[in-house]
Amino acid sequence: MNQMRRTLLKLSAAALAVGFGLLKTGQALAATWNKAGFESKATSDALKALGVSGAQPSKDIVISAPDIAENGAQVPVTVTSKIPNTQSISILADKNPFPLTSSFDFANGAEGYVSTKLKMGQSSNVIVVVKADGRFFTASKEVKVTIGGCGG
Amino acid sequence: MAEPMKIRAKMEGDDADVKVLMSHPMETGQRKNEKGELVPLHFIQSVVATHNGKTVLDAQWSQAIAHNPFLGFRIKGAKPGDKITVSWIDNTGDKGNIETTVAAP
Amino acid sequence: MTRPVPAARTRLLAAVSALAIFAASGATTAASDAKNTTAKKPAPLELKGPASPQPWHRYKVDTQGSTWPQAEWSAYSTLATVATPPPEGSLRFATPIEGDAVKGRQLAFDRGRGGSCVACHVFGKYTPPQPGNVGPDLSMVGATRSDDYLFNYVYDPRTFQKDSIMPPWGAHKIFNVAEIKDIVAFLKTLKEPATFKDPQDNPAMRTLPREMRDNLDPTENPAMFGLDRGKEVFGRAGANGKSCVSCHAAPEREFKTWAARMPRYEPRLNKVIGVEEFITRHARAITGDEMLMQSADNLGLSVYLHNLANGAAINPDLSSAGAKQALKRGRELLDRKVGQLNMACNDCHVTHANKWARGQYLPLFKGTIAHFPTWRTGRADIWDIRKRFEWCNVSVRANELPPDAKEYGDVELALAVINKGEKINSPGIRQ
Repeated sequence: MNQMRRTLLKLSAAALAVGFGLLKTGQALAATWNKAGFESKATSDALKALGVSGAQPSKDIVISAPDIAENGAQVPVTVTSKIPNTQSISILADKNPFPLTSSFDFANGAEGYVSTKLKMGQSSNVIVVVKADGRFFTASKEVKVTIGGCGG
Repeated sequence: MAEPMKIRAKMEGDDADVKVLMSHPMETGQRKNEKGELVPLHFIQSVVATHNGKTVLDAQWSQAIAHNPFLGFRIKGAKPGDKITVSWIDNTGDKGNIETTVAAP
Repeated sequence: MTRPVPAARTRLLAAVSALAIFAASGATTAASDAKNTTAKKPAPLELKGPASPQPWHRYKVDTQGSTWPQAEWSAYSTLATVATPPPEGSLRFATPIEGDAVKGRQLAFDRGRGGSCVACHVFGKYTPPQPGNVGPDLSMVGATRSDDYLFNYVYDPRTFQKDSIMPPWGAHKIFNVAEIKDIVAFLKTLKEPATFKDPQDNPAMRTLPREMRDNLDPTENPAMFGLDRGKEVFGRAGANGKSCVSCHAAPEREFKTWAARMPRYEPRLNKVIGVEEFITRHARAITGDEMLMQSADNLGLSVYLHNLANGAAINPDLSSAGAKQALKRGRELLDRKVGQLNMACNDCHVTHANKWARGQYLPLFKGTIAHFPTWRTGRADIWDIRKRFEWCNVSVRANELPPDAKEYGDVELALAVINKGEKINSPGIRQ
């Protein structure tokens, strides 16, 4: 299913090593796109590719998403992490063909908060993994997708 | 080629609350067009946001982010007048970017 | 184009000079505000050609891969033609009716067969997620109804209830006789009430949907890109060198209520035209631009012209005899059964409004048009009201009409009258 991809821009190893360097406005990629993670077909593989291990369930991760989304084309998901020193938030939809949908790294005052809209092929669990102080935490919420009244 | 984007940044308590809408098809590579041909994978892979020149958000996306993608984030300690930029690059190398200043509460 | 009388011209020049940005356009002749023009002369319109793409073809696929069914249903009525479909009827068999209950359950739950029975009914312990409640709960029918009743209700409900919303599954050939016998075999197994693990699956307990989005937030509603496009098109010179701005220097003032007075009966065409058809014909007549209905330019301009009237109360003009006749026709069309599924607009949006069709709540007509044109999140595009009609028709397996069909105009006028007083709020954002 993967089509031709152009060359990805990569940041220098030095910048990767220090995390976030002093990027000029409008400059492209800060981090290499996690191909292994995004191409994983199973949630467990995606988590491994993200480097996640020993993720603790946490009630300090608040997932705001509809109980029943109006359609699967765009499901609004907002994640608020109340865990101190949140470094990143990753969002997975476990019944999607490729569960990992996105990963957000924070720095320089950005809150552990992100809002976006996902495509969901079917009702599934939205799984969130938070990295804070080098440790991993997780929470999930079931999101159903509305089944339309009119068929084929 | 830059696509139109919309951005709003306003104060919510101590935070600047930033909302961005990007115009992009976010093709999954699974869709067929009118002629029955598969439309190739075409999606934003990376989004970077800065606050007064410093990177605050570095996001990686898959094709599972919805068409016309939306992004909301918050910056602690931002002030009205601060400069916010959001840039993206997709899997074909196309780019987009927008900037704004934080509005007063 | 005629020149306005001196008094009007003086007033006009004052207005134009106050808008310095437009003063240089040389648009002082024949330019007057829209209110003045319609009072004196009808807006120039191209009157000969169609306003829809020719030859008209149903859409195949929307953005994001949402498809349109491509079948043709010429045997069944549309809003334009009354066909002679297979007649109403019932069949008699030696009872008991034998069939395969497992197959019958699959058939009853197959969404590819006109939406499936679950769109309207609950089926005891077998009930799939998000059943509808347009029709009665069938959980006990195996204990309470005869084989003959079950077969013939599915075969053709009209023998029991003349105006039933339920499709004549057998008489209209959606299921054959053997399949209906299998469905009967399945129905005969239903002898216990349904229990719902998740209360949201129970249509009697399900949370009603509420639209909470700010449709005018440009970071929320992609149709606001369409509004930008509309503003751009408004100022863009067409093939004749004229733009809309050439005559309409102050759209924020001139069109504060214009869209709320549409659609309107147009005597030169002997039909009701809405904003979108007006755009096509007026642009052809004045700027030389070709902006067919449902093209990106047309949709953008329609969003812009509706948006300028946000807050204005819908109030269609019914003063002419033509308008009154169109309204009468429109009301009759809302009642016409169309398509292989044999449904009328009123069936879903009057008789069975405020019920669940599968996971979707059916609204009354009132409150459903003021947000057009609207972004549709499930189709990833801006829809005008005529595209909504096309989709509704195809959903009940009735051939759609082209967007400029006069019957769609009659229906749009009837809906505008039902929605009189509702305030324009465009572009909307919906599923």
